[in-house]
Amino acid sequence: MKLEFLAPQTLQDAVTMAKARGDAARFIAGGTDLVIQARKSGTWPEAVINLQQIPDLGEIKGSGQNFSLGSLVTHRQIEREGRFAGALEALRESACVIGGHQVRNVATVGGNLCNASPAADMVPILLCLNAEVALAGSEGRRVVPLASFIEGPRKTKRAHDEVMTEIAFSAPAQKFASAFLKGGRRRAMEISIVAMAGVVSVSRDGKLTDVRLAMGAAGPKAIRLTEVEKFLEGKALSKDVLEETGRLAAAAASPIDDVRASASFRRHLAGVYARRVVELSWNRISEVGNDRSAA
Amino acid sequence: MNSPFRIIGKSFPRLDARGKVSGKAIYGTDFAMQGMLHGKLVHSPIASGEIISVDTSRAMAMPGVYEVVTAKDIPAQRYGSFVKDMEVFASGRVNFIGQPVAAVVARTAEEAEAAAKAVKVEYREQAAVFTTEDAVKADAPLVHPDWQEYKAVPTVKRQGNITNQARLVLGDVDKALKESYRVFTHRFVTNVVHPGYTEPRAAIAHWADGSQLHVWSNTQLPFEAQATLAEIFKITPSQVRVNVTVIGGGFGGKLRLGVEHYAAAAALKAGRPVKFVSSCEEEMTSALPRQPLTIDLTTGVTKDGKILAKAASILVDTGATSGSGVGVASSVMLMLAGPYKIPNLRLESRSVYTNKTPTGSFRAPAGPQGNFAVESQMDIIADALGIDPLEFRLRNIVREGDLAPNGQKLESVSLEECLLKAADAIGWKDRRPEPGRGKGIACAWWTTTSGSSGVYVKVGPDGQVFLNTGCAEIGTAALTGAAQVLAEALGIELGSIQIVSGDTASTPFDFGAQGSRTAFAVGNACIDAVGKLHQRMKEIAAKQFSAKAEEIEIDGGAAKFGDKLLPLKEIAAIAQTSQGGLIAHGTFIAPPTLHDKERTENMVITAINSPSFHAHAVDLSVDAETGEVKIHDYVVVQDVGRAINPTYIEGQIEGGVVQGIGQALSEEIVYENGIVRNAGLTDYKMPTAMDAPNIRSFIVESPSKVGPYGAKGVGEPPVIHPPATIANAIASAVSARVQTLPITAEKIVRTLTEVSETAK
Ligand SMILES: Cc1cc2nc3c(=O)[nH]c(=O)nc-3n(C[C@H](O)[C@H](O)[C@H](O)COP(=O)(O)OP(=O)(O)OC[C@H]3O[C@@H](n4cnc5c(N)ncnc54)[C@H](O)[C@@H]3O)c2cc1C
Repeated sequence: MKLEFLAPQTLQDAVTMAKARGDAARFIAGGTDLVIQARKSGTWPEAVINLQQIPDLGEIKGSGQNFSLGSLVTHRQIEREGRFAGALEALRESACVIGGHQVRNVATVGGNLCNASPAADMVPILLCLNAEVALAGSEGRRVVPLASFIEGPRKTKRAHDEVMTEIAFSAPAQKFASAFLKGGRRRAMEISIVAMAGVVSVSRDGKLTDVRLAMGAAGPKAIRLTEVEKFLEGKALSKDVLEETGRLAAAAASPIDDVRASASFRRHLAGVYARRVVELSWNRISEVGNDRSAA
Repeated sequence: MNSPFRIIGKSFPRLDARGKVSGKAIYGTDFAMQGMLHGKLVHSPIASGEIISVDTSRAMAMPGVYEVVTAKDIPAQRYGSFVKDMEVFASGRVNFIGQPVAAVVARTAEEAEAAAKAVKVEYREQAAVFTTEDAVKADAPLVHPDWQEYKAVPTVKRQGNITNQARLVLGDVDKALKESYRVFTHRFVTNVVHPGYTEPRAAIAHWADGSQLHVWSNTQLPFEAQATLAEIFKITPSQVRVNVTVIGGGFGGKLRLGVEHYAAAAALKAGRPVKFVSSCEEEMTSALPRQPLTIDLTTGVTKDGKILAKAASILVDTGATSGSGVGVASSVMLMLAGPYKIPNLRLESRSVYTNKTPTGSFRAPAGPQGNFAVESQMDIIADALGIDPLEFRLRNIVREGDLAPNGQKLESVSLEECLLKAADAIGWKDRRPEPGRGKGIACAWWTTTSGSSGVYVKVGPDGQVFLNTGCAEIGTAALTGAAQVLAEALGIELGSIQIVSGDTASTPFDFGAQGSRTAFAVGNACIDAVGKLHQRMKEIAAKQFSAKAEEIEIDGGAAKFGDKLLPLKEIAAIAQTSQGGLIAHGTFIAPPTLHDKERTENMVITAINSPSFHAHAVDLSVDAETGEVKIHDYVVVQDVGRAINPTYIEGQIEGGVVQGIGQALSEEIVYENGIVRNAGLTDYKMPTAMDAPNIRSFIVESPSKVGPYGAKGVGEPPVIHPPATIANAIASAVSARVQTLPITAEKIVRTLTEVSETAK
């Protein structure tokens, strides 16, 4: 086996190299998806283009409401990011359950999104935050909403020579809180059988508002649970409301049967986690210190 | 408390620590030789069928390829423990997916792997059978149509796919069940689990002069490897030399040949050393996992909770070869009866072929499976009778002098102490401290495998002592334990001992690192050697002091005559100049365990040697909605006879519990029509550090008559109880009784849903 290893120093070079080699070349960031898949299938690309030496892709930028994650930001960085403590806790919660320490030290958020596994753990919370991804390719730069960027299992809108450079999002303007829960057989090194992220705000009269829920691993791609979000808008939290939340979320799931779990158990968990994520974020509202609406 | 011992009972660091910690230890996968080639196997993609043709021409033309080896290149020869039903490469037919059909030898492992894909094998597929229930049917397809031609030990009673039918019978079960206040019948089903050693199986083979086979491998049993390789290649054992490398764990998975035979066959044809290392996928599809069992268990009890009778029908799924499954089918009956006093028994077991991965002797073979059934049912019965499960056990456990189910007289029985201590440590009185939280308990006995051990103990002129043993150190530190026995008995420091082990050419025979016997048997051989050394020391000192040997005393590591002392190293120096050095051959063989042969029929394992007793208890919570289990506290009380090195005993306990938790909650090789659906560590879920709970070990010392300083076997027992202990705690926490392993979150939720639906 021969494998060409390319290490461009600039974004432009990376794009040029990818364009010149076509399908025979693949970008590599942490390699925790790429290498595993190549070994498993026995088919290696002819060349890998390492993105790690391109400047500026490894930083978390922003404050207050607007943030951007460089595509090479590792899960470890997100897990430990002080700016995400509090209202944006779900970002840290999603990152800190990915793989184990070794994986999180090298695996990147860009790789997680570009790989587009239905069980990618960073996707649900970023969907809730209406994240947009920036792509730079031979045709120039463009920005695509994450929701449409991922098209299906391992399918994205990314052209072969496009490098994902950053993931940008704006936090809700009003006071909000977030939560993330995932189900699996172990407490680490676990591919989600269901993942659920939520962002909720509470209006002055104590009602849920701007509720955002997203579910992973329960269908071909992670999705926003718009029916549930609509149902919850303007509601006060109650046992009945939570129960209906669970019922609607379970109905929105289109899971598969596989060796990890049956479809019916995944559907069941989708309901339980939707309920718990809403409840948990609601309970967190009083704890988070981002009360801009009150100002 | 003042210990009478200098070395025994102290937690010395293991003698092989430095090499392992510094990365200098050479494991099987590290081992390399000049001119070495690499081999990769070609596996059968079908579960059952005839081989029509093997076309190696394309593979031979691939870059780097030296040879393709098939059954045609080696003698036609079947081998196996109880039934000789295994072959190196499939010759006429294949009987499981993953069965090796050929091997490719190439310059690099990658080239060999690529070429292995190019070997074209044509098959005529035939009907296969995947469950024991189907396999025992009269019209089932035969996994081995030629089974009658295979040689087997005379004890086994075979028929079609059944490789043995054994029974353990006592009293009149039918009558006792009729007289019982209540009779309970349940089915328990256990999972296929991998031993989970960190280092895959690896071997390098080389033939000198085409007739002397030299193998380096991470085998647990160099002498068995030697004997089996000799059998396969039709040469004498002395034509085979096996050297054991440092081993990254075995847990019974490296008892039988792993890849040694492929390396030997490949090296024979290639005329160069060849190395094989099994891949992760091969480990999951064609290593030797634990047999899954289906156990139908019936128990009759009196109103006040005395067990009157037990009847069982057991099916052991051995996969495509019988292997040690025949043994499991026997020993599981000893587990199912015990550790209770039961006047009437009728236990019947069958070991059965299916077209799946051949199974093997994973740590405490039959232990977890049998214990899961018997100890789960104990709790079910206790609940039904309204008796506390601990109390129900105490009313039935064996005590000093009782007879075991096989009629053997039990000695040094510490079970009550173990149970009471475990209950006390876990806070049994408060068994359901809050909703969703519960505690569970389970107990067992276990055997210390017999077999003979030999050691050479050689003393150098500097007082350094070599412990030369045919036993391998598989990572347990059991040889450090044996060295502690030697140091204690010889009166020297542990640091003066160096271990030389696992070389069939230069170390004496040992039955090997298996069955919790290493420190026990090698330690005893050391004590025997010390007796002989002491005699030699006396003779040499007598000469030196112009005295009689009987007048010499041994004091610490020296010979003493009156107030004159001759230290060991001086004796050794004298011995070197006068009589070829100071060396002794120590040997040990455990005395046979007497039992009632009338009770056992066709059983290949009939006794529990120097039994150890133990109890586990757990405190856990179950999330009734998600089925998630959280273990708060795990307690082990284990009677080790004598704790030679408490730290490594705790190591065995903690490792065994985590391994047992894997079997209990998360691990399972999943088959669908003979295909392994989770052939990798992504979906074969061994517990991670995050899943390992707080484990508290309590050591009980009720000395055995046979073991060194009273020691009993230690290594296997901790893996036995976790499935039952955890199942019982889950049932106590949320009323979900799961009778199939592993107890996944999904099964818990499903059981709870069924329970609440029947309640409606
Ligand atoms: C043991 C283990 C456990 C894991 N556990 C989890 C888990 O719990 N949850 C989870 O979600 N994932 C898990 N993963 C998967 C993986 O770690 C993550 O998806 C990770 O985020 C991938 O990032 P990476 O940098 O390693 O990607 P890589 O493997 O380097 O790349 C993945 C894909 O994205 C492309 N790519 C990467 N970066 C860019 C970029 N900037 N622009 C364009 N294309 C790019 C590559 O060409 C490749 O196709 C696990 C993996 C392993 C090995």
